[in-house]
Amino acid sequence: MGDLGNKILERIKEEKIEPRPRWQFLLKDYFVWSAFGISLLVGALAFCVMLSIILDNDWDIYRYLEISPFEHFLISLPYLWILLLFLFLAIAYYNYRHTKKGYCCKTFTILALSIFGSLILGTFFHSLGLGGKIDRTLSRNFPVYQKIHCCCHRQDIWSQPEKGLLGGRITGIKSISNFDLEDFNGLAWQIEKDEGAFLRGPVLVEIGEEVRLIGKKKSERVFRAFEIRPWWNREEE
Amino acid sequence: MINSENCAQKTDEELVALTLQNQDFFSCLVERYEPKLMRYVRRISAATREDAEDLLQEIFVKVYRNLNDFDQSLKFSSWIYRIAHNQVISSWRKTKSRPPVLKFEADEDFLKFIAADEDLARDIERRFTAEEVRRIINQLDEKYREVLVLKFLEGKDYREISDILRRPLGTVATLINRAKKQFAKIVEEKEIKF
Repeated sequence: MGDLGNKILERIKEEKIEPRPRWQFLLKDYFVWSAFGISLLVGALAFCVMLSIILDNDWDIYRYLEISPFEHFLISLPYLWILLLFLFLAIAYYNYRHTKKGYCCKTFTILALSIFGSLILGTFFHSLGLGGKIDRTLSRNFPVYQKIHCCCHRQDIWSQPEKGLLGGRITGIKSISNFDLEDFNGLAWQIEKDEGAFLRGPVLVEIGEEVRLIGKKKSERVFRAFEIRPWWNREEE
Repeated sequence: MINSENCAQKTDEELVALTLQNQDFFSCLVERYEPKLMRYVRRISAATREDAEDLLQEIFVKVYRNLNDFDQSLKFSSWIYRIAHNQVISSWRKTKSRPPVLKFEADEDFLKFIAADEDLARDIERRFTAEEVRRIINQLDEKYREVLVLKFLEGKDYREISDILRRPLGTVATLINRAKKQFAKIVEEKEIKF
């Protein structure tokens, strides 16, 4: 062996250099794979919330808002969750690339599998009602969430009685066709249920229920409701 | 006492396992790979012999430290070349500069490649001297240069290059094809006069 080889071995002995223990490398591998798995999971959750918001949206009320269906579509998209989905797909890609054999696959393959995995898992989570639960929990506990998760603040949309849209909590039942409502600005309303009023979805006209009303503002605090919808899709509760 | 006879019949993978039990067996791996890695390091960097020796020391120390990370599904030579490649790049980053001109030794094998390669032979009907090849290669993008060195000078196959550079197989094939095209383009566009 040459001089260089001898120098190397002397250095190893003098500096008491030892091979790193195997468990350190295994731990690193597990960590990277776990990070990949968690990223996919979070991406899947983001997708399931997206799906829930999109499916629960009031796509038909663009007429009352006096905007085109396309404009309504654009303001209704859950941009926060779309961004989170892409962010966590990117993180999943990064983590996969840093696994031992992560370099073998083409970029397209990794991205396609990550997207497919998140979408399938996300759809499964949505079928369990997770999307709606997460959305509702965040809405109730973080007021700022409703303002940022899409371009339109849902409560603002349903606080336009002049346009025929009113939302709020039922505070009193006067009769079968009359009840009181407190809107999201804290204002009290008398609600007159139209004779042919349509109850869309599993809506309960009971004290404490949050509802969405489509109708017409009769006077300053009186609203005639042609259609009553639950605030949340009850199937997800 | 470990000597050449102990080592000669053993595979790299066996030597790794033996080294983990007895440090002295590492000398066999050093002896086996020192000349190859010295040539490789000097081919991809502008290092003097002394600088290359320093780099090589760092490389072998790193190899020794990370022996437990050696994945048996890889060839040991791919693994050690990968460490060597990364260490050279790491040293460039520390000095915050890449060598302006690479010391590229276009030896006989590479000249034979130039002469024998059908793509190049079709476009460039001429023979090249070592100096001409060196000048052309130095003008190639780094990513093309490194695959050409591994393929035609180190004699690595596509799978090994993929493992060394941690790139997909398809990407390696693409890089080699593009390297050849860029080689031909440089010769034609710059109208190199020799």
